[in-house]
Amino acid sequence: MRLYWKVVLINGVVLCLALLALVLGPMSVSRSTVASEVLVLAGGLAAILLTNALLLRSSLAPVDRVVRAMAYVDLTGPDGRLAAPPSGPGRSLVDGFNAMLDRLEEEQGTSNAKALAAQEAERHRIAQELHDEVGQHLTVVLLGLKQLEGQVPAAQAAEVAVLRESVRDGLDDVRRVARRLRPGVLEDLGLTSALAALTNDLGRHHPAEVRRVIAPGLPGLASDTELVVYRVAQEALTNAARHSRAKQVTLSLVRIGEGLVLEVADDGIGFDASTSGAGLRGMHERSRLVRGDLRITSRPGQGTTVRLAVPLAVGPS
Amino acid sequence: MTAPARLLLADDHALVRRGVRLILEQEPDLTVVAEAGDGAEAVEVARRTPLDLVVLDIAMPRMTGLQAAREIGRARTGSQPPKLLMLSMHDNEQYFFESLKVGACGYVLKSVADEDLVGACRAALRGEAFVYPGAMSALVRDYLGRLRRGERVPSTVLTEREDQVLKLIAEGSSSKEIARELTIAVKTVERHRANILAKLDMRDRTQLTRYAIRAGLIEP
Repeated sequence: MRLYWKVVLINGVVLCLALLALVLGPMSVSRSTVASEVLVLAGGLAAILLTNALLLRSSLAPVDRVVRAMAYVDLTGPDGRLAAPPSGPGRSLVDGFNAMLDRLEEEQGTSNAKALAAQEAERHRIAQELHDEVGQHLTVVLLGLKQLEGQVPAAQAAEVAVLRESVRDGLDDVRRVARRLRPGVLEDLGLTSALAALTNDLGRHHPAEVRRVIAPGLPGLASDTELVVYRVAQEALTNAARHSRAKQVTLSLVRIGEGLVLEVADDGIGFDASTSGAGLRGMHERSRLVRGDLRITSRPGQGTTVRLAVPLAVGPS
Repeated sequence: MTAPARLLLADDHALVRRGVRLILEQEPDLTVVAEAGDGAEAVEVARRTPLDLVVLDIAMPRMTGLQAAREIGRARTGSQPPKLLMLSMHDNEQYFFESLKVGACGYVLKSVADEDLVGACRAALRGEAFVYPGAMSALVRDYLGRLRRGERVPSTVLTEREDQVLKLIAEGSSSKEIARELTIAVKTVERHRANILAKLDMRDRTQLTRYAIRAGLIEP
């Protein structure tokens, strides 16, 4: 029943009862009203108002709750949902509100996904241009200077050598920036190599022992799924290096049933997993892009495990 | 004097090709006999030209350098296939291991091509692997990890100096940095490097590839 009709009905029933009491009851109102009659009328009116108020209150309470929830709702989790009353128009109101939150969340997820995809595409383009344009030109200059160095008198040769080192630094910078933007190794050599490169990098810059368990002969994934697995591994390894103080970090990628499971586990100091930072949220958003299932388990003093399961067949891509 | 080695250069950037050619042709023992602008063309040229060495850029249109290397390595029957050397912008040891896997002897980073290319060409022509420095540190770290875990590794007796160099390589130091740290010449560091590789059974392409596969760095 709609809320409007329920209010009309409540008012109608209360007024009808009052009317019946007036018709059937033993009371009458004189032409010039006497005080006792006014008292009875006032009492009757108060009873009508009270009944009406009580009935309306229980019907309209969900409206107030929804209004309050709207003011404070946080779209990032399922905690904003309201408990629906068992029946009546209040229930449909609360259900409608919850459904709206679900939809908003869904849409927010989609637009985040779009933003992430656009960001990756842009990074890809810039990295490629850095490699193919700037990098090539600098290489030409580097080789040209080397050539020149052998042909000019010794006094100028030293100057050319300085220039050559400077060009080399420039080339190294370009390469480093491009690599940070987009790992070429993922595209050129595939996920296994890209994950191996990530663990090698960590081993180079971090005292922890890094172990790598990548099952041989894993089936290929869609390229967007590979990118998500890569980025989650990257974020998890970065976190382990920065915050965990771990002695050992293990990355594994294995096939379990119809999915591929990435796990990054460390034996570090752990953290309170219920507090979520931007990095963790980013991992969740990425995993949602490819219908992955991301679980982060950690407790202070117990180490951290990041586990991402992605389905092997993701859509038509 | 033996005839200079015949080289094919493949890079999609004509000016880079020209630069590399000028560097190589200063050497009396090397001569560039052909050029190619992409991977497919390189395979085509290699099919009909007798060559000793092919230098391939990894990022090329139509067919990447890695694909082209695989093709060239398997195309020849009967006669000896040319040696292969990869050239790339990417500073990542995985490209080195992948290069080994497709049959190349080594991998030269473009930003050190002016210094390393000639040496790498000669190593490749001798049939030795030219080990890319970043890959060296990954291999050595893996080796040390195995040693720590008590796994079976090639038993070696390194000299004290070699052991110092090994540790510094594992930490990712370059030859220059190691030379400065130990106050020895860069050339000496490189000799130690070569000795360490030989002692760890990682001297040639096949040994290195086998090691990288066993270490899970590349898929078989």
